[in-house]
Amino acid sequence: MEITLTQGLLLALVAFICGIDAHWEVFFVFRPIVTAFLTGIVLGDVALGLQAGAIAELAYLGLTTIGGTVPPNPLVAGMMTVVIAHTTGQSPEAALGLSLPFALLMQWILVFYNTSFAGFLRLLDRDAALGETKKFMNTVMLGTWITAATYALVIFLSAYAMQQPIAAFVSTFPEWLVQGFRVAGGLLPGVGLALLLRSMLNINNLPFLLIGFLMASYMSLNGVLPIAIAAFAIALLVFLKDREAAKLQAAADGGNQDGI
Amino acid sequence: MVSRNKLDAKDLNKLGWLSMISQSGFSFERMQAGGFTAAMIPGFKKIYGDQTEEIAAAMTSNMGFINTEPHMITFLQGLILSLEEAGEERSLIQNLRTGLFGPLAGLGDAIFWFTLLPVSAAIGASFNTQGSVLGPIIFIAIWFLAAISRIWFGKLGYRLGINSLSVLKESGAAITKAAGILGVMVIGGLIPTYVSLRFPEDLTLFGTVPVQGIFDTILNNILPLGFVFLVYFFLKVKKVSVVKVILGVIVASVLLALLGIL
Repeated sequence: MEITLTQGLLLALVAFICGIDAHWEVFFVFRPIVTAFLTGIVLGDVALGLQAGAIAELAYLGLTTIGGTVPPNPLVAGMMTVVIAHTTGQSPEAALGLSLPFALLMQWILVFYNTSFAGFLRLLDRDAALGETKKFMNTVMLGTWITAATYALVIFLSAYAMQQPIAAFVSTFPEWLVQGFRVAGGLLPGVGLALLLRSMLNINNLPFLLIGFLMASYMSLNGVLPIAIAAFAIALLVFLKDREAAKLQAAADGGNQDGI
Repeated sequence: MVSRNKLDAKDLNKLGWLSMISQSGFSFERMQAGGFTAAMIPGFKKIYGDQTEEIAAAMTSNMGFINTEPHMITFLQGLILSLEEAGEERSLIQNLRTGLFGPLAGLGDAIFWFTLLPVSAAIGASFNTQGSVLGPIIFIAIWFLAAISRIWFGKLGYRLGINSLSVLKESGAAITKAAGILGVMVIGGLIPTYVSLRFPEDLTLFGTVPVQGIFDTILNNILPLGFVFLVYFFLKVKKVSVVKVILGVIVASVLLALLGIL
């Protein structure tokens, strides 16, 4: 079953809207169970959309953006599973596997975007310092429009125009370039953290930086909450000690005045 | 003399809805910083009116690295707005922001991504396999309710801030220092989680000694720690611009990947 131009454009529209949500992660309509369903509606095969949605959603349950990582893309996987099954007559299970190149392509694009969107921060810092709220908001929203438009373009090309060439392109793309951006993606948060330290770190709290690091490194903790509680405990101790010292100081000063 | 207006229920509702854009412009360098700040702009404008320097200062102080679970973002924003409204020291607000976003992320991930997502997916999928459109419909309905819960979270954060004000007034400086300890210690804990720098397993010296293994025997995650300190050194001591640092990181990453070293 061929995809018509109208269907291609409608799929692009679905990808655009769900793409906005993929960027924001608010309504979760970017998850495969929804995108596959919507694709099924556009292609006139709701039953296929439901079948594909179920297996794609379960397959992609573990693939989330926790910790700021970028997984193979669920939105694209959901849509392309239905598209491939519809156009080739393959089973949804087989189509799920065949949708992987497209999910990977979107993943790479988003890793590249997450790296290059750091360019916006230069503009944002400047606008923030000047209190240019409108410009600031517009620049922030650029990320949404670019991302959503990219989802629409990728889906349009993958579904309507260039399915074969894209699959071939994905398999021949230089791995080192993808790896390079993957590595950069792992290092850039370090730049962000260092930026925070630039304004927060001093000789008094340096010890705690090291303690927090050692805790996360050597203890198998679930998340950063235990460290935050330990940090709170230490901070509370320091705070109470400071308060005691301040009280003693005040008493000593008061005592001197009485003496006179 | 800085004058401040109070926020009302309408402002907090606005915050709840606008906070939905908070991940816009997400980048690895500072993650949610841009969108997080943008969603609070109406709040800052209500508080500070046309005192642009104050709005600018509030915005700038929120541009630091932040990454928390999307539903929890609004709680933190409500808290920050309540502290801005009360005129608290920005160093205190910043330290609290940095100290709290990590734990809130853990809490939000546990509630939404590790519990609600598998449960809603299982419910939806079971309807799907029976050929019923209730599958996606129920899934969408569940997550719509989760989405608007952030309006409530925002108000909760705001109230929490307001209720803490008397304590903050009494011991501001001590609390700022304590919050600084909280923030910096959490940052230390985030380094192993967020920063990855590992040599590939098959990279060896003289064909036998794994390079990564050498570093692992010295100290776990010593490379991410070293990297952060290195960047800190360039930023603070050598005063290199952030843009140069980032470009340097990207170029170095691609080069090392090309050479097969990373």
